[in-house]
Amino acid sequence: MTDYFEVHDRDGAARVGELRLSTPVATPALVGGTSGADPSGGDAGGGDASGDSGRPLERVPVRDAGSLWSADREVPEGDDSTLTVLPHRAFPSGTREEVVDSFATAFPDVDGPSAAVVSSDAPDAAGAADAPVDAYALSDAQGFVGHASAFVDAVVGVREAVPADTALYLAGVATPANVSTLVYAGVDLVDDKRVRVKGSQGKYLATDGEYFLEDLDELPCACPACAVPRAEFDRAACEEHNVNALTAELRRVRRRVRDGRLRDYIEGQARHDQWLTATFRELDQQYGYLEQRTPVVRGADLSAASSDTIRRVEIQRFAERVTTRYRNRFRNPLVLVPCSARKPYSESQSHAQFHDAIQYRGHLASMTSPIGVVPQELELTYPAQHYDTVVTGRWSEDEKRFVADVLERYLERNDYPRVIAHVPDEGYRDICERVASRVEVPFEYTVSEHPTTTESIGNLMATLDGELKYTKRERQHNTVRAIADYMLGDGAGDDLFGDIATTSRYPKLQVRDPDGTDADGSGGEQLATMVPTYGVLAFTLAGARRWVESDAPTKRVEIDGFVPQGSVLAPGVVDADAGVRVGDEVVVEGPRAFAVGRAEMSGPEMADSTRGIAVAVRHVEET
Amino acid sequence: MSQPTPEAYERGRGMDAHNAVMRDIRAEKEETYDPHEPTRVWLDEDNTPDGVRTSLTIILNTGGCRWARAGGCTMCGYVAESVEGGSVSHEALMDQIEVCLDHEAEEADDPASLIKIYTSGSFLDEREVSAETRRAIAEAFSDRERVVVESLPDFVDADKIADFTRWGLDADVAVGLETATDRVRHDCVNKYFDFADFEDACAEARRADEAADAASAGVKAYLLMKPPFLTESEAVEDMVSSVERCADVAGCHTVSMNPCNVQRYTMVDELHFRGGYRPPWLWSVATVLERTADADAIVVSDPVGHGSDRGPHNCGDCDDRVQTAIKDFDLRQDPSVFDQVSCECERTWELTLDEEAAYAAPLTR
Repeated sequence: MTDYFEVHDRDGAARVGELRLSTPVATPALVGGTSGADPSGGDAGGGDASGDSGRPLERVPVRDAGSLWSADREVPEGDDSTLTVLPHRAFPSGTREEVVDSFATAFPDVDGPSAAVVSSDAPDAAGAADAPVDAYALSDAQGFVGHASAFVDAVVGVREAVPADTALYLAGVATPANVSTLVYAGVDLVDDKRVRVKGSQGKYLATDGEYFLEDLDELPCACPACAVPRAEFDRAACEEHNVNALTAELRRVRRRVRDGRLRDYIEGQARHDQWLTATFRELDQQYGYLEQRTPVVRGADLSAASSDTIRRVEIQRFAERVTTRYRNRFRNPLVLVPCSARKPYSESQSHAQFHDAIQYRGHLASMTSPIGVVPQELELTYPAQHYDTVVTGRWSEDEKRFVADVLERYLERNDYPRVIAHVPDEGYRDICERVASRVEVPFEYTVSEHPTTTESIGNLMATLDGELKYTKRERQHNTVRAIADYMLGDGAGDDLFGDIATTSRYPKLQVRDPDGTDADGSGGEQLATMVPTYGVLAFTLAGARRWVESDAPTKRVEIDGFVPQGSVLAPGVVDADAGVRVGDEVVVEGPRAFAVGRAEMSGPEMADSTRGIAVAVRHVEET
Repeated sequence: MSQPTPEAYERGRGMDAHNAVMRDIRAEKEETYDPHEPTRVWLDEDNTPDGVRTSLTIILNTGGCRWARAGGCTMCGYVAESVEGGSVSHEALMDQIEVCLDHEAEEADDPASLIKIYTSGSFLDEREVSAETRRAIAEAFSDRERVVVESLPDFVDADKIADFTRWGLDADVAVGLETATDRVRHDCVNKYFDFADFEDACAEARRADEAADAASAGVKAYLLMKPPFLTESEAVEDMVSSVERCADVAGCHTVSMNPCNVQRYTMVDELHFRGGYRPPWLWSVATVLERTADADAIVVSDPVGHGSDRGPHNCGDCDDRVQTAIKDFDLRQDPSVFDQVSCECERTWELTLDEEAAYAAPLTR
């Protein structure tokens, strides 16, 4: 339960939030200390969101009520200008559970932003997880930071135990090199204690690691502290530089989270330190933790530049949905083609040539690393048109195995009379041959040298001789059904859209009831619209009702007795399906309203939170 | 508004938990010792109320500490140095004294004037060392100047001390008070007596002192710097106030303030292994000695394992120099010895004092 912390943006487990002190602070942020960039003091006039100087504070002022190990402590009076760390019994790394249990202390309710100190081994000792606090400081971070699996266990364990809308504080551990990974895992608050200590020891810190100051004949930085002659740059200056480097890195991380691009950064930056690389890889093994927190659509492109990209939630989720939810509805042969650099694929020159050769006689699917298999109906669906990969023509064994596995599962689920593999040699052909040997459907190969040579295109045309064309209507209906499958679940396309009409032009197809006439006379009542930027469907109220009445699993948010205008806030949510993800289309139902909109939080977070926007409502009606 | 904790109840639970954990840790140790050999014996120099004297220190194996068998102190591994069965006969103890006297005869030109006897328990607890043995040992050292014996405060009794003073031996009881702060002694050290018990023990020593004709009696308080769960700055403040409070107690003429080191088979060892404990900085030891130089008692410190990861340490460069200054202070009680040492790592230590919250500890290794 929190009154003073709110999450605004989510990027996987990472969040950008706001600690609503009298002068608010954007998180992830530094706790304590001072910096020249801050307006002095916390005496901002009221809750003005931009603070005294017209910008928010960069640091969280903190007041430590003190350790109960050394003395009895008064519970301080509330103060909304500072984060109060409640009187604590901090259990350092290595403290056994019975000691934690027997000394665990209660968490009094103070009138103002407060933090509880808990141990990662027992985040709910003495009912800590339900304490009336806005943040949790871990007492044992010194023991697990630096050890990937212990770190992941600790952060995931605590994050899953405490409410989503509370901030997580790891004290005395952040560095410019590790802070992006800390945030990526779900940490919201850090401090500059460690970097100042390092500076005092003559350790010069950067996002690429740690240098011995004495070894640097040139300072690899241009911050104000480093703008002095090398001979004058002492350990005091080194402390200052380290704080600057950490501050700058936190700014970058906040920007990356807002942009939905932290993972891209982590895949590169974390490679400077083995434990950081190990950490994000270990986190990839915590698929449930990351998946729940990863949006289903994003505005930003996804960079596929490392071998770790394959294990991203977005990639795994697409492959999983294509092979377990999507169903091919065409009766034509499958034509496998290589992906194109240009997205969507259909707008590329090569695909235009394939299209001219196929002439709606084959069902097109693109093979790509790291997405796997993209059937033509899903070419707009995130992340199929939102990734940018490194093209060298060299495929790693991991990539081949991943794409072959997806293709095999795809062919096991979907029946085709024949597969025409119009693919080049490098990697693609190898994958097709592997899969061909494991499935029953026959493969034919039509490429000579390169897929767009005259001979190859001629082969493709010739092999489709005699195949029937599918109609535009079939193509359009199958597209919106495929997207419904992908979004809502296996069979959803037929359950919801078995009987429809489509109007307007691809990629802005409108799905309508086949019967009747709507207000503007363009056909039956509108049910949904295709959103070309994400390749998803946005439902109307009529569409939402059809969804609720269908056999397809509904993503439902239950609200109190009010009529939401614009958005549903978390406190108004009574319950939400655990499967709801950020970006999901959801139905909102309550005693007084029926609405449809886009989820801004995961279902568990909606049900759990006391602050923040849960659903952006598109259409609502009073009931 | 104060914290509504039922203190007595909480303390009982905490003690039970500490004891359960310590018993479990100690059970990992399987070695036993020959009851006819002392645990350790060595020669040294010590600052006494009469000046610096040669000392013979004896760690007598008396079967170990009774409190430790229940679990015991979170930092103490000496208890493991006990014998099978748990008690040692009069004859065996006298054999141990014989071994010590032989050692002294071999290593020293003259008999040491100061004899210090520790037992990893209580020399004055008659379940550990019988009255017969105590008197025999007093007699064995009756030709010396001064004897120090270790005891918990409960067992300090003017009549027992008289067993030494009657030979004209000055007698001091070394009491492992650890800290004057009851809360820290209970919750961090897991030692069960109160400061008031220490004051009572000092009063007993005063009575013995007054009763003795040709000898004096007093108490030497042993303090522990930085038990687990305290930050560096809390540890320093705890020691400064403890030294001052001990010095103010009549009968306590010496305070030995010793930094915690990481001993095997202890809770401190587990915390240290998992990155949850760092022994104190030698700068912290120096600053406490400096700040309490005016206290009305001899204040000394004998850092064990200085400069190592498991002992009190600074940066690695200055440890020996600071240790030398501390030993120098022990003998001369002159705080200016600390002006002679400095190092770049003092800034790191100062930052640690300022920045190390209990939830960010240990901030340095």
